[in-house]
Amino acid sequence: MSNCGCTTEQKPAEVSVSGRDRDGIINPMYDCQPAGAQYAGIGIKDCIPLVHGGQGCTMFVRLLFAQHFKENFDVASTSLHEDSAVFGGAGRVEEGVLVLARRYPELRVIPIITTCSTEVIGDDIEGTIRIIKKALKAEFPEREIYLAPVHTPSFKGSHVTGYDECVKSVFQTIATKKTKPTGKLNVFPGWVNPGDVVLLKDYFKAMGVDATIFMDTENFDSPMLPSKAIETQGNTTVEDIADSANAIGSLALARYEGASTAKYLNESFEVPDYLVNTPYGIKNTDDMLRKISEVTGKEIPESLVRERGIALDALADLAHMFFANKKVAIFGHPDLVLGLAQFCMEIELEPCLLLIGDDQGRKYKKDPRIEELKNTAHFDMEIIHNADLWELEKRINAGLKLDLIMGHSKGRYVAIEANIPMVRVGFPTFDRAGLYRKPTIGYKGAMELAETIANTLFAHMEYTRNKEWILNTW
Amino acid sequence: MPMVLLECDKDIPERQKHIYLKAPDEDTRDFLPIANAATIPGTLSERGCAFCGAKLVIGGVLKDTIQMIHGPLGCAYDTWHTKRYPTDNGHFNMKYVWSTDMKESHVVFGGEKRLEKSMHEAFDEMPDIKRMIVYTTCPTALIGDDIKAVAKQVMKDRPDVDVFTVECPGFSGVSQSKGHHVLNIGWINEKVDTLQKEITSDYTINFIGDFNIQGDSQLLQTYWDKLGIQVIAHFTGNGTYDDLRCMHQAQLNVVNCARSSGYIANELKKRYGIPRLDIDSWGFNYMAEGIRKICAFFGIEERGEALIAEEEAKWKPKLDWYKERLQGTKMAIWTGGPRLWHWTKSVEDDLGVQVVAMSSKFGHEEDFEKVIARGREGTYYIDDGNELEFFEIIELVKPDVIFTGPRVGELIKKLHIPYVNGHAYHNGPYMGFEGFVNLARDMYNAVYNPLRHLAAVDIRDKSQTTPIITRGAA
Repeated sequence: MSNCGCTTEQKPAEVSVSGRDRDGIINPMYDCQPAGAQYAGIGIKDCIPLVHGGQGCTMFVRLLFAQHFKENFDVASTSLHEDSAVFGGAGRVEEGVLVLARRYPELRVIPIITTCSTEVIGDDIEGTIRIIKKALKAEFPEREIYLAPVHTPSFKGSHVTGYDECVKSVFQTIATKKTKPTGKLNVFPGWVNPGDVVLLKDYFKAMGVDATIFMDTENFDSPMLPSKAIETQGNTTVEDIADSANAIGSLALARYEGASTAKYLNESFEVPDYLVNTPYGIKNTDDMLRKISEVTGKEIPESLVRERGIALDALADLAHMFFANKKVAIFGHPDLVLGLAQFCMEIELEPCLLLIGDDQGRKYKKDPRIEELKNTAHFDMEIIHNADLWELEKRINAGLKLDLIMGHSKGRYVAIEANIPMVRVGFPTFDRAGLYRKPTIGYKGAMELAETIANTLFAHMEYTRNKEWILNTW
Repeated sequence: MPMVLLECDKDIPERQKHIYLKAPDEDTRDFLPIANAATIPGTLSERGCAFCGAKLVIGGVLKDTIQMIHGPLGCAYDTWHTKRYPTDNGHFNMKYVWSTDMKESHVVFGGEKRLEKSMHEAFDEMPDIKRMIVYTTCPTALIGDDIKAVAKQVMKDRPDVDVFTVECPGFSGVSQSKGHHVLNIGWINEKVDTLQKEITSDYTINFIGDFNIQGDSQLLQTYWDKLGIQVIAHFTGNGTYDDLRCMHQAQLNVVNCARSSGYIANELKKRYGIPRLDIDSWGFNYMAEGIRKICAFFGIEERGEALIAEEEAKWKPKLDWYKERLQGTKMAIWTGGPRLWHWTKSVEDDLGVQVVAMSSKFGHEEDFEKVIARGREGTYYIDDGNELEFFEIIELVKPDVIFTGPRVGELIKKLHIPYVNGHAYHNGPYMGFEGFVNLARDMYNAVYNPLRHLAAVDIRDKSQTTPIITRGAA
């Protein structure tokens, strides 16, 4: 019997999982497969993805990346026109590759990314690649340019599956044989920001682990230099990818973004693959570090114990005073949303509405993190897969009370119209400055994200004159 | 040697026909860059697709219309959050996009049922909205879905709605331009003269080819109000679907953007005998000239002179302040097409700025005729410029500022060249008298931006000191 006066008989919390029940989408959460494939491609050094489709499939995606990172990334198009729709567009792939090879002498990788139109037309990409390889060999006998076929019709999946597909195809093209063991650890962090990549590198350095991050997007945050050099490109090299077959293991941090490549390396080269929960929050980061320690035999250093302690110390100032019982809706990539939901529960926020997904509902339903949320939630939670942002908006219109929304910038007007504080996280976050630089994973990421949540709530208390005086003394 | 083969184009020599360097005493008609021609695959062109020319540029501006995009989700995602065209009803047009979220099964079995259901859902979810434009995309065009038949059925089932269909998949034409054309011609064929509105003035116009970028249409509307001119329809800035059905009622078509919307003005002339008057809405001299022409047409010259005098008294001193400081600034313009000829002479006459290079994404040869006639000697005129060409041209002309899109803006930032958003503006509106002062201010703030001078400093170089950058207070 509780002695606090609260009732011990509670209705068990209900966690429901369902899909969008409309055919159409109002305000999509994700872009299409080719967009995700392009994102994977730009993570590779000396690589220009070639998108086989209409010009819009490339132009808008480059704009999207520029919006999020405030940087330019090079992606080429085959500029498909009517004649290709009638007679096939393989010739334009061939011409596109050769033009790229001639004008960009440092180019080493060209993922050839299909779109809905070229998949419907049925262009034979693999066959075309065989033809182009001969032409390249004849014209550039000294150069090896890897051409990876990436099948990403837009009428399947989303930019999440497109990312996964392109990473896998590039590895299948370049990592083709096992040679000398490197002793290195492959790390597939998924679709994260440069700030997260920097954090992971710091952790590996602190542990003394020689790790290669795929894709290494640290330089997606690149400087203005006196030399005017442009350094905005991925750091992952052909050699890094080729050597992935010789690693001691592959650690995947995102079930839907890169884990299939870790599996490929295991199946083809017996590089053991380990999938951990995406390291949002304390426990997930603990589990990741323990796994790294287990796989590499390296100890977790004092510095990370301290970083963890500092994070806990900061979170403890916020959780039960400001966050407890606050209702949160989260939308975005599945690995992000499920990870953030777990983190929210560590800091006493109540993630009552989770919006994930595309048409991959079957996969999401089997996700052990959803099972965990079902078992641990002490409040009602609705998980919607195949969701669009209208699912969020219409629930708010119908009276759902939320204290906080977490998600990417495409949902900004839902928060603005309903006057609900919103923390930008995920991709894209173009309406807030510099977020690509800030980690959201690991202990430091957890701390900084929680502090952003707190400051967002505080500002909202002030703007709405809602007990802002609480902060007179804190 | 007026047509220029750049070093970076030595492997694609056909590009020479697209780049013109204006020399003295030449009949420029002999040297017009080839335009509106197919892009070479793999060149990293800036072009978008026909679908976006219709949806994003023209249709999606309307403030009361559902934009149903029949295809995979990406075409909706990508044409959302990429424009700055507000409305006076809370920006309905910028908050939402709609997609039929086409899947593989629809590629096989057809997507018409999916479209029909999505249309009903959209009207059900947003019961106040009664107007819709349906667009095909690459895959739905390839499989041959009959969207007109579906629209007809939906209108039959819902007598209070009106639906317009646009069939221009991304692969049609060579650029956005094709989509402008398809929407223009479709609208006049199917929707003009299907509704009458109340005439409240003796002087009526359609204002055509202005998309309310950062409030352009709304600023110009204050002029029409002062002149006592009724605007029957704005095509399409801050416009409504039903106003556009009444375009046949106007006495005069005033055209700003001749490239995107000249077609409908021509058809209105042909079919309804409404004269077409082209004006330039950017720049003091041009705006005054435009107002004079419109007022002369209606015989209300004295009203026009009064308005011009009032506006000039208010804004000319501010303009002149900037002119004094921008004199001799070298500017490049890399935008869609018409802004090249709208701006080159107005920045020269009104601000003393020299335009030294211009590139058009989707202009036609008649656009180049205009811009070369208005532009300077020693200036480069480029059709469908690509990234390597931009680098080379920058070296040749060394611009102080470039008016272009945000992605290219991020690229040239690394070269210490500031950009001003030539599509969506930095802090507009830019049209009209007040607008041109805004443009001048944004250009001044870009050119006198201290950071670009600080970026050139190498702190390791002992012979250099970091300068203090001074500028005048505006």
